[in-house]
Formats: sequence, structure tokens, C-alpha cells
Amino acid sequence: MTSLALTRDRIARVRPGPALAALLIAAFLLLFLVVPVVQVIFVAFQDKTTGAFTLVNFADFFRNDLFMRSFANSFYVSAMSVVVASLLALPLAYLTMRFEFRGAVLIQSLGIIPLIMPPFIGAVAMQLLFGRNGSVNLLLRDHFGVSIPFMEGLNGVIFVQSIHYFPFILINLSASLKNIDRAMEESAQNLGCHGFRLFRRIVFPLAMPGYVAGASLVFIKVFDDLGTPLLLNVNDMLAPQAYLRISSIGIADPMGYVISVVLIACSLLALWVSALAMRGKDYATVQRGGGGLAKRRLKPLELVAAYAVVLLILVLVLAPHVGLGLLSFATIWSFSPVPDAFTLKHYQTVFTESGQYITNTLLYASLAALLDVVIGTAIAYLVLRTKLPGRQWLDYIAMAALAVPGVVLGIGYLRSFYGVPMPFTGQPLSNFWLILVFALAIRRLPYALRACTAALQQVSSSLEEAAENLGATKLRTVGRIVVPLMSGGILAGFVTSFATAAVELSATIMLVHSQSDAPLAYGLYVYMQSAAGRGPGAALGVFAVVIVGLGTYLSHVVIERGRRERGQDH
Amino acid sequence: MNHQFSPAALAAQIQSVGVDIEGVNLSYGSNHVLKDVNLAIKPGEFFAFLGPSGCGKTTLLRLIAGFNTAQRGEVRIGGRDISVLPPHRRDVGMVFQSYALWPHMTVRRNVAFGLEERRVPRAEIERRVDAALDLVGLRHLADRRPSQLSGGQQQRVALARTIVIEPKVLLLDEPLSNLDAKLRVQMRQELLSLQRKLGLTTIFVTHDQEEANTICDRIAVMEDGKVQQVGTPQDLYDHPANLFVAGFLGTANVLDGAVRDDGAGRRVFVGSGVTPVALPPSAGADAAGKLMFRPQNLIIRPDGGPPAPGHARLTGTIRHREFLGASIRYAVDVGGQLVQVDAPHQAGDALLAPDAPIVLDLAADKARLLRP
Amino acid sequence: MLRTTRTLRNAAAALAVLLLSGTAAFAEDPSGKLVIVTSFPKDMTTAFQQAFQKANPKVTVEILNRNTNAGVKYLQETASNNGTDLFWASAPDAFEVLKGAGLLQPYKPQVKGIPDIVGAYPVNDPGGFYAGFAASGYGIMWNTRYMKANNLPIPKEWADLAKPVYYDHVAISAPSRSGTTHLTIETILQGEGWEKGWRTNKELAGNYRTITERSFGVPDGVNSGAFGIGIVIDFFALSSQASGFPVEFAYPTITTIVPANVAVVKNAPNKAAAEGFVDFLLSPKGQEVLLEPAIRRLPVNPVTYEKAPAGYPNPFKDTSLGAQVSFDVNLSQARYNVVDALFDQLVTFQLDDLKAATQAIHKADAALAKKPNDKAKALLGEARDLVAAMPVTAEQAADPQLAGAFTVERKSATDAVPERQAQVEQKWAAFAKENYAAARRKADEAAALVR
Repeated sequence: MTSLALTRDRIARVRPGPALAALLIAAFLLLFLVVPVVQVIFVAFQDKTTGAFTLVNFADFFRNDLFMRSFANSFYVSAMSVVVASLLALPLAYLTMRFEFRGAVLIQSLGIIPLIMPPFIGAVAMQLLFGRNGSVNLLLRDHFGVSIPFMEGLNGVIFVQSIHYFPFILINLSASLKNIDRAMEESAQNLGCHGFRLFRRIVFPLAMPGYVAGASLVFIKVFDDLGTPLLLNVNDMLAPQAYLRISSIGIADPMGYVISVVLIACSLLALWVSALAMRGKDYATVQRGGGGLAKRRLKPLELVAAYAVVLLILVLVLAPHVGLGLLSFATIWSFSPVPDAFTLKHYQTVFTESGQYITNTLLYASLAALLDVVIGTAIAYLVLRTKLPGRQWLDYIAMAALAVPGVVLGIGYLRSFYGVPMPFTGQPLSNFWLILVFALAIRRLPYALRACTAALQQVSSSLEEAAENLGATKLRTVGRIVVPLMSGGILAGFVTSFATAAVELSATIMLVHSQSDAPLAYGLYVYMQSAAGRGPGAALGVFAVVIVGLGTYLSHVVIERGRRERGQDH
Repeated sequence: MNHQFSPAALAAQIQSVGVDIEGVNLSYGSNHVLKDVNLAIKPGEFFAFLGPSGCGKTTLLRLIAGFNTAQRGEVRIGGRDISVLPPHRRDVGMVFQSYALWPHMTVRRNVAFGLEERRVPRAEIERRVDAALDLVGLRHLADRRPSQLSGGQQQRVALARTIVIEPKVLLLDEPLSNLDAKLRVQMRQELLSLQRKLGLTTIFVTHDQEEANTICDRIAVMEDGKVQQVGTPQDLYDHPANLFVAGFLGTANVLDGAVRDDGAGRRVFVGSGVTPVALPPSAGADAAGKLMFRPQNLIIRPDGGPPAPGHARLTGTIRHREFLGASIRYAVDVGGQLVQVDAPHQAGDALLAPDAPIVLDLAADKARLLRP
Repeated sequence: MLRTTRTLRNAAAALAVLLLSGTAAFAEDPSGKLVIVTSFPKDMTTAFQQAFQKANPKVTVEILNRNTNAGVKYLQETASNNGTDLFWASAPDAFEVLKGAGLLQPYKPQVKGIPDIVGAYPVNDPGGFYAGFAASGYGIMWNTRYMKANNLPIPKEWADLAKPVYYDHVAISAPSRSGTTHLTIETILQGEGWEKGWRTNKELAGNYRTITERSFGVPDGVNSGAFGIGIVIDFFALSSQASGFPVEFAYPTITTIVPANVAVVKNAPNKAAAEGFVDFLLSPKGQEVLLEPAIRRLPVNPVTYEKAPAGYPNPFKDTSLGAQVSFDVNLSQARYNVVDALFDQLVTFQLDDLKAATQAIHKADAALAKKPNDKAKALLGEARDLVAAMPVTAEQAADPQLAGAFTVERKSATDAVPERQAQVEQKWAAFAKENYAAARRKADEAAALVR
């Protein structure tokens, strides 16, 4: 009896659970992220003729005017996108979180929809609305003889990217604002601070961790994003340069991979800088289920102004989707402010042809998002709550996925898994649809991980200690206390992963091997390759947006209800 | 196993055990937080870790609960070494300073949690939870969420949640610090009577000596990671082992001086502004020393007559005074050092004026020589 | 329900894969599945898919849509365990790459009566590795509403597009991204010679509004009116027209008619069905599908034109179509990558500078027309020459040494190491940037003289 107890004591002391979980996650990341990526980018370090290790390719990169110009452009576009995205996100987050605002949940949900911008169609719709000969400029020219270069060159990229990615700031900033203890603000008011000064000196600094998290995500995504500049035919940025080189036929040039390495390095640098900036600024100010900011009532005039601002921003950020909607009902839309006529026939086409795409997408995106939140929660827990050596690396590696261009991951998967036959069928492993799910999960893991980490940071560790003290094992504590308390953040992570995975194309396009296994983004791509396919493509895009948007709205409702039940909304 | 579910029966279930802490050392990197801590807490004792913030008292408490690991030393509960046990297998109930009530569970689910983790049958859980809530008088609020309760109620829920599992030891981490003054006084009496009723060995962490004095059987005074002195409140107050304990437990007057032989083989304390004070023979001669005594040990001698037998004489000037109601506290400059004097106050008594000279008698047997 | 069982089965299989990965594969089931990797639009593939399945009810056609580049990459990356039967795309160069990599299987189609040449281009690969099944020609597409709103005349020839009136109204896709655009550029180079051909290409480029990454980006932009005029392959324009967009299309005199191709992939799992599909494509029944409004390609089987609607272009009758230039396939192959890289470095990535120089030249030209001045004329000529100047000659472009900078192929480790691609490109880009800036200065100078 005693000896048995002693053995169990020893086991308890070693704590194999977290170590095992860490090993499993490490193996997953290694297999599905590190190995495929290294398979691709090692070319960057190879001498083309001898195959020996060399850094001369990097020297070439820095000596090349075009690459340097691309580098500067990428940096400029990313920075400007952060600025514009902040201008869009700040009022929405502040007004809905800080004031009694009817429709706050609706606004928050609508604010996330821009993330679900299906590939190709988003840019097409933006061109139709804001391009040189888009609706806005056609009308302006007709009535005032002026036009605004929204979409010219880098402007277009900044404009589209800010609208597309501003929800990252909105989501993170809103979460931060919600978690500021009201006493922080009240004490400032008490000391004579009010109005905008209150926001600038107290509220915003306290919400800074969320803002920086969101802003760094925007920066990195814009820096790495390929689709938007390509669709707007802006080539002199880094990601398009990498893509153009990697995907050129018959050319074996290491520069594409060199640029990929540079992209990855820059993104890691941005993450590191934002982590550095936030060091020691972990403001978990809410205790014992306390409330966030006290919501204040606006004066009637202020209310009108606030609604006007919110409405203007919503109109702007939802413009691509409005355009998409118009396009899906349009017969012909060419060089005119609105389509010539409207029809339902595109929806009919999609209904009869594309049901498979939708079910596949739902399956893949939800599996990927599920995988993401499980791994995200596990990594967040390992990093914040255990003392495992090297646990930070799980976080770093998972976040590095953010910096890996989708094409690189796609090619890496083909290289790594094509030669591996599946048991029973003999089909290549890379043809197996679950591989696609893994690719999506890896690509979206960083979002889920950040959401989970933020959620766990908000859970006071004494809540866990209390459970352990009352006899719950670590695992039970995680199951009964940590995960339920993180549920809001986990759900947010799930939704972000799901929504963006549902419209992901760049890795998908390399990995889809049969139409019956293809997701929606692939279907869109196929439609958008022909003149006749534009309408049905837009209709399919509308489906994507509606499905994901509904999911987002429902989960918001669930989060809010949970919060109310916990009495956290005061 | 044959449980009865009344509060009284709950008490009967609890077997008091002792807690022994031996040679515990704990560091965070180069920061040595606990230094050679040795304590023996008796079964059923209400014991306090008292000290200023940063003295290591909470670290020591969390060590017992299993949230810290000592580099050296061991903790035994009921004679069994629990140093290697994970927190969930230690059977020590802890009430957190922030209460740590789970916001996503009702009061009832919070209290039931520990029993559920112990796989207690559902029906028994409900009865024991009811009993625990009865014990703290909150059964009518069982279906509320923690955020709907007042601070005192949250406190009681945290207490009920902890004692319902019938822990071997109850750990209280500054449980009263988040309550208002009146509630604090009331709660500490409730805590005491609950502890007496249950006979549960209880360790109480606080920085408030009044709190510790009023409810604890014995106190360990801690400073800088070390236990300075262990004893009953009276013991510590009357016979502090060092200046820190003396000062932390109440107002202490300290006079600098030296120990001398008075030529007749007796030891005396000599200092400026005071006549030699007779000391016990054990005091070593010819060394610097400090004489400690409490404000109430001094008697004002308005007549200025010769000191009473066994008393030393202090002469000085009143610097300022505080009217406290039951007494008046004078700060008196004695030979360049400030000394506090408490004079009992009766209606109609005249107050002494600042800057007036004053003559005081000190009962030598009440004073204590402390080495610097 | 079906979905669920499949999901479960797949999940179980996934588990097995994770546990057993690396263990021997089981034999593949024979199946009637025909896997086709194609860059053709859905409208076209679906029509052929249905027609073929109707004729061969036992075969299920599985279409995998990839753009040409991604398709080639896909075949290269998956060659170790090939699951594709057919590669079906436009650009002959993509087939050349696959052929060079040994990824294609020769097949001689059974259909008789297909001519050897369409326009000036051979229909089939001489080695039989791939076969042409439809022809397409490059031409000019425009949006009628755009032209009207901007008061633009209808362009007829390539040279028209170089006129100042079209400045900032024209679009093309990058030759490095679109095999057919490459052929257009190459046709001009072969038709006019290296130096003059580049001059023409750059004069056109000075009027480009944008250079798109996808071939379809051009017709798409013309359709929506983002720009007015596009240099596109005929079926893009014809099918857009058929979809109802207000666009029109014309072949210029010098154009090239090139075949769109199909090839059996080496180690095709279902070789018989693959060869059947090739024959079906060339058969009268298959060729007729090409005439559908949403497809609109030129059949290679001359008999099919009898069923074509009136006014349908017929390269076998209308000799002006593509017959003006005799196309040297070998020359094209030898300098393929060099031409692409030159266009990218001199035009695509320097478009802003090139346009600025062009605009300055247009302005000076307009001023000069009103007030002749010999010195200004000479300056303007110099400016034009600077824009047209090339960093490499025709001989250098076809030199394998230079081409070697763009490939990994080498005979042995001791071979002379050519310059790295990045070095070469940097040189060209710097050359272009400098010349365009100088041209702009000279044009401004010329304009100042006549002001």
C-alpha cells in the first residue's frame, strides 16, 4: 500500500501529461509545418549549379533594385494598412464597447464579415465599385467631373487590405476594452479626466495589448498577402515577387525561395517586436468575474454623430460584399454604376452545380478550426501555466505559420506527402482530403492560438489553484475550470479560423486533387476563370459569406448569453 | 463513511492533525524567499503567519498547499511527508485572498466542486453542500452566481467550498483583507467559532497583528523569509525576541544604552535621561543594548517625588499629544529619544501641555533588554 | 448519410495512415475514372466532360482545374506517384516543359483529316507527345461603352495601340504568366525582327494601363470596364461576347494562330480512357463542341467549319489569319525564358517609368506636330531609341549560356557557371531604368524647345 502510494507520488511529481501533450503538438507542427516548409525553402540556401550551401542568393536579393523597391513597397503598404485599419476599427470598437449602443452585437458581427472576403471576387467587386471606372468614380465624374484614385497602384492594395484585415484589430481591441475593470476608468474620471483625454490616457493604454496584437496581425498579413496585390496587378511587392518566381514554368530560380525566407524572417521580427513592446504590460485588471467598462449613455446629439460614424464605416467595409451581392444578381455589369439588370439564374446554377463545394467547405473548415482551438488551447496552457523547458518554442513555431505563404506550404505538402502512399488505397497521402484540413489548420493556427492565449491570460491562476486545492487533477482543472472560463476566447478563435479557412485558396489550390473533395474557394476559382462564370462565382461567394457570417453571429450570441449568465455584463 | 449531514456532524468527521515544517528553503532564482523555516503546528490549532508584505508568509502557505516547491526541507501533515504530492492530493483546503470563486458556476456548483472531484455520490454531495452552506448561513443563495453576491457572502462561499471537502488543514490567505472594517470584525469571530466547532487545524496568513492576536492560538512572526518568533499573542507581546517582533506586535518604546555592572554585582541598563534600570542577572555586562517597554508601562509622576521601589526614573519634555478617548498618548523627549506614554483618561482630567517638563516612572520588571 | 459513412471511413483511414505511414501500399483498384488536369474554364470542360461521358458511359471524367503554371508544377511535384491521365491546356510551351521533363507519353491520334499546320504553327508536336485540338488567335478586344465614353477610335492593328490616344487604356497579361501572351510577343519579334519587334512591343507597352498576372485578368477587366482595350486570345473575347458583355473583338493582320493542346501523361493510370478522350476531341462530334457560344474556339478539323455559324473565323480558308509570319518554333524555344525575363525586367516591373517616358514622348510629339523643329525632332528620335534599346542582341538571347541562368540543367559539375538569374535581371532592370529616365529627359527637352 505504502509502496504503491510512493510510486504514484513519483509519477505525480514527474507530470507526464503536459510533456506528452507538448510532444504530440511538437510532432504535429514538425510534420505538417516545419518539414514541408524546410523542404521548400532550403533551395534559398543552395548554389544553383553545385547544390552547395551558400548565402550568395541573399546577397543578390539585397543588391537587386526591384527587390529593394518591393521590400520598401511591402513595408509601406503594411504600415499604411495598419493606420487605415486602425481608423476603421477604433471607432467601432470604442463606441460599441464603451457606450450603450443599440445593435452593438450586430455591428460587431458585421465588422467581422470583411475577413470573409472570398478570393478573386472581393477585388473584382472593389474594382467595380471603387476602381477608376467603378460606380463611385463614374458617378463622381458624371456629376462633379472628378475622380478619386482609391484603387490606383499601392493605394488600391492599402484600401482593400485595410478593409479586409481591420477586423483583426476590431476583435482584439474589443476584447481588451471589454476586459478593462471599470474602476480603472472611474478612478481616472474621479481624478478629473474625461472625454477624449480619458480615452487617450487610460482606456487606450489599458487596451494596448489587444490593439498591438491586432495591429501586428494586420501588419504581418498584409506583408505576406499575395492575393490582393496580384489581383490588383501590383507586382512590385515582396509576396507577389516570390509567387511569380516560384510558380513560373521551366524556371529554376532560387530568388522566390529567398524572398519566402525574407518574408518569414520579417514576420517573425514583427511578432518579436510586438511581444517586446508588450512585455510587462499584461493588464489582467478584471478579478472575480468583474465587469468591463461601464457602458455610458450618449447624449442625443452625440448618439446621432456616433451612428453616422458607425454607419459610414460599415458602408465602407461592407462595400466589397455589397458589390459581391450586386454581382451575384447582375446580368451584365460593365462600365456602369449599377448592373444593367438583375436575375436569379446564377443562384440556380450554383444550387444545381455546387452543393458539394459547400458541404466540403463546412467539413474542412470546421475540422480545421476545431483542431486549431484544441492545439491553441493546449499551447496557451503549456506556455502560460507550465514550466516545461522549451515550451515557448511551441508558441513561436505555431506563430511562424503566420509567416509562411500558402503557396510555399502547398508545395511543401506535395513534396513531403506525395511519395507516401496511403494504406488500403495506395493513393498518395497528399491526395487525402484530411491533408487539406491539416494545411488549413496550420495556416489558421496562429489566429486561434492568439485568441486562446489572450483568453487564458484573463483567467486568474488562483481560480485554477482553488480547483486543484479542492482535489481536481491538472487535467480535470483544465476541463472544468480553464476551458469553460476561456470559452469566449476559444469560440472567437474557432470562428476566426473557421471563417478564414472557409475562403482560403492559396494552399488549397495546390492540394485539391479531385473535384469531389474540393472546397468552396476552389469552386470560386474555377467559376472566376470565365466570363460566364462571374455571376455564379459571385453567387457562390455570397453563400460563403452568408454561411460564415451566420456562424459568426450565432457564436456572438452564444458568447453574450454565456456572459450574461455569468453575470459579467453588469 | 456513515455520514451525518448536520453542521455538528460535519465537525465530528474532522480529525485534527498537526503540520510540521522542517528546514524549508525556497528560492526563485537568486531571490531567497524562505530561509530555514521550521514550525510545528499542533492538531486543532488556529495558527497565524504574521508579517509585513514580502516576508514570505504567503509563499509558505502556498508551499503547504503545493503551489510552490521548496528546494530543501519537507512539510508533514499528520506525520506524513506531503512534499511530493501534487496540490490535488494534499487534502488541505485553501481560501484564497481573492476567494477565486468560479464565475461560470453557481454557488451550489462551486461548493459541490471538490466533492464531485472526489466522486462522492450525487445525493450525498447535495446534502453535504447544503450542510456546508447552512454552516455559513448562505443556503438561500445557493443558486446565485458569485458576481451576484456581496464581498462577505463571497467570503463565506469560499469558506464553505473549502470546508465541505473536510480537509485535514484549512489554509486562509488574508481572507479578511477584502472586507470592510465592521464586517472584518464580525467575520473573524465567525471564523474563530467555526474553527472551534470543527476543531480543524487552521493556518491564517495576515499582515494585521490585531487580526492575528484576536483569533489565533499561536503566531509565527515572519520577516525577510525567516521565522522571527513563535508564540501565543500574549507571549509575543510581552516577551518579544527582537526589535522587529516588538515593533510589529504593538507600539514599542526603545531606548539606546548599555549594560553595566552597578558595582554590587547587579546588572543595570544605563542611558541618557533615565536612571539606571535593574536588569535580570542573566544580562551580560559591558555591551550595548536597547531597552524596550510599552507606553502603558510608564506612570506619570506629576508630583516629581522619588521613584517608587523597583522603578527607574525618566525625565523629559512633552513634544505632542494625541487624545484617544480612553487614554491620552504623550510623545516625550527623553535624552534626545522619543518615548510614547499612555495616561488613562477620566472625564474632567486636565491634559498636560506640550513643551512642559514631565517626570515618568518605569517598572523595571516590565522592561526588556534587547540586543541590537 | 452517405457523407457521414464516407467521413467515418476516411477518418479511420486517416488514423491508419498516421499509425502505419510508411507501410506497403495495397494494390490500386482498376477504375473507369479519367483524371484531367486542365487550365480551361468550366464552361468548356463541362461541355466536353458531358459529351465524352455520353459517348463513353463507363468512364467518369474528373476535372482538375489549375492555371497552366500550377498545372505544370502539380504534374512535376506528383510525378513520383502519378494519378493524372491527361494534361489539357492552351500554351504549347507548357507542354514543351513537361515533354522536356519526360512527363508525357507519346500518342498518335486515330482521327484522320487533321492538317499539319494551322496558321503558321504546326498542329501537333513532331514527336507525338502532344496534339493540337483547337486553334486560337490573339487579337484586340474592347469594351464598347468604355470606347464611347472616352471617345476612342476602334483599333485595327497592333501599331494602332501605340498611338497616343490609347495612352493608359490598354491591358495585356505578362508573357511570363501567360503562354499565349508570350506567343504574341514572340510572333511580333519574329515578324519584325529582334530590334524592331522590341521597339513595337515597348511602344505598345507605353500605353498599357496594367499588366495582369492571369490571362483571364485582361478579358475580365475589359468586361467590367476597368480598362477599355485588351490584348487577348480570341475565345476569351468571343465567350465574353456570348455571355452578353458589351465587348467586341478583331484579329489584326499580323497575328499568330496557335493550337490548344492535349497530352497523355506518362504512367497514366487509365491510359485507354485517356487515349479515347484525345480521339474524341479530334472527332467531328468533339470538334463541334468547340463551336458552342461559351467556348468559341477554332476547330482543327476543317470539316467542322461547315456547321459553324456565319462569320465564324476559319484559319484554313482565311489565309490572312496567322499566315503572315512563319513561326520558328526552335528559335522560340531557345530564347523562351530570356524573352519572358526581358519583358518582366524592361516592361512589367518598370511600367511606371516606361509610361512616364512614353507620355513625355507623346507630349513632345504633339507639340512638334504644331511647331516643327529639327533639333527637337532629333532629340525625340534619341528618346525613342533610348526606350527601344535592348541590353541583349538576338544572338545573345538565343545563347544557351544566357538561357542557362534561368534553368538548373547542366551537363556536369565542371561546366562554366553562368551568371545567376538575379544578377542578370538586376543588370537589365538598371539598364531599362536608366534609359527610360534619360528618354524622358530628352523628350522633355524636345518639348521645351518647341514650346
